[in-house]
Amino acid sequence: MSGLLARLAAGAPVPVFPVAGAGARDAVQDLRLQSELSLLDSPRAANVLLVAGTIPEELWDALARVHDMISRPRCTIFWTLGDPELRPPPVLPEALVVDADVAGAIVTAHRELLMGKRPSDPPVLPDEDPAQWRGVGPYGQGGTGMTGGTPYGRPMAELGPDRDGLQLDVLPLRVGPFFPRFPAGFSLDLKLAGDVVVEAVPGPTPYAGASVPPRPGLSPFVRALSEPVSIVELEMARAREHLRWLADALMAHELRTLGVRVLRLAANVQPGDGPAVRRLGRVLALTQVLTWSTKGVGRFTGEKVAGLGLGPVSRAAGIAEDLRTDDPGYRGLGFEPVVQQGGDASARWRQRLEETVQSLDLAGRANGTRTEPADRVESPRGRLEASSTPAARLLPLLADLLQGLEWGDAVTTLVSLDLDLEEEAAVGESVTAGQVVR
Amino acid sequence: MTLLGPLGVALAVFVAAIVAPLALRGLGDIATKAPQTAPSRTPFAGGLPPIVHAWSRYHARYYVMALVFLAFDMEMVFMYPWAVVFVREGVTAFVEMGMFITILLLGVLYIWRERALEWS
Repeated sequence: MSGLLARLAAGAPVPVFPVAGAGARDAVQDLRLQSELSLLDSPRAANVLLVAGTIPEELWDALARVHDMISRPRCTIFWTLGDPELRPPPVLPEALVVDADVAGAIVTAHRELLMGKRPSDPPVLPDEDPAQWRGVGPYGQGGTGMTGGTPYGRPMAELGPDRDGLQLDVLPLRVGPFFPRFPAGFSLDLKLAGDVVVEAVPGPTPYAGASVPPRPGLSPFVRALSEPVSIVELEMARAREHLRWLADALMAHELRTLGVRVLRLAANVQPGDGPAVRRLGRVLALTQVLTWSTKGVGRFTGEKVAGLGLGPVSRAAGIAEDLRTDDPGYRGLGFEPVVQQGGDASARWRQRLEETVQSLDLAGRANGTRTEPADRVESPRGRLEASSTPAARLLPLLADLLQGLEWGDAVTTLVSLDLDLEEEAAVGESVTAGQVVR
Repeated sequence: MTLLGPLGVALAVFVAAIVAPLALRGLGDIATKAPQTAPSRTPFAGGLPPIVHAWSRYHARYYVMALVFLAFDMEMVFMYPWAVVFVREGVTAFVEMGMFITILLLGVLYIWRERALEWS
């Protein structure tokens, strides 16, 4: 009987919690196209932890904690993305290292796990509470707060004014770095009064000192900093990046089927697919749910972002900043930046869709035109330089932008901004590589 | 049933509702031979440990909507006896219910004006 149950369970889609390190974002996203895997938003619902790419040392503690939260029986798969030198982080000693066909490896490991042929991963962190639950009295009783003392070493939340004029608890909360709605490695120090964000401070960026090769979607833009790159390659990469963002954003808004459809389009997009993207834009305009949740949310005024070179985020606020206008190749194609008015999440969605159509159109007309190498390149997320990335310029604006929003709107805003912390590591790598060549 | 009496039955259900989940959880821990550890019991918010305890007081903002729902739900209950006598009483019952619904509708308009159906 239990054998039959185990076989039936092993036949179902494998519940996987993915952790994408540097360089692994696209590869992990593509796993959503595999019907035998089910990529989940919580480790509690998953049996398999998939860790892909380089995980910087700052994130190892958080990774260990996520590992211990995976439901038992559990196993850990480390995906090297084909890099033979990449090893799993030392906090995951039991990880099964996989080079290729990760979906097949996950299904096999999960089946062995459920049939009892593979032991469940033991926890990696010790079974210790941060502190004993003790009050101030001799028998552990008494103190301040609801029950006295600090339950398991965690103090109770403090009081603060609520927007309804009540004195209620303000809950400090740290979200990330593996929160599925946030870009990989991004964390936020929050203070919440009910569902309202009182204060939001972005945590440290884990990739700042790291140096890893850029992921495939980003590498043409990093190369364009030092060598001529064909406009067809750049614009197709830009269209793919925008479509990949759109797929993620749709999934964040729980429009999963549509998200998978967009992901499939991103994988096979051709210069002639402009009409398909336009149709997609019309479908999105028809889904009123999306309009309600993005309209007027997370608004950037033009003055706030002018001169920062935030790409689609700037252009959605009516600032026609685009470094492509400086390049003779693009000027020869008659390139003019598209802009939106409004600067809210809804404008950023529209802006990326229109830029995708524009990129496909440019790629269709560019033939063999190449860019001239420049110190500054217009990446899909804005001005990319060796010394400064769009994400690094956007992070300081977040505290102001998120303050006062409801939590759902704050997540909608972050999703619409399309932060990519990996750029920093990718640019760092290109600078190092450039020095080696010289 | 008769042995326990109504109060005894209620008590038995209460006790069973507490014991059953605890027993299931304990059985699960025994079956896996690896009980949950302290780090695995902490709430998931992306991998970082929580700063404060999760017991916090917040404004149950939906309470107005909950009260409005309860009031209108009870009024719907009045329609069941009405439906039973509707055929026998004919037009009189129809008109009476029409008046009742009209008064309710005024209540809905009042709720709308007071913005009780808006979240913030």
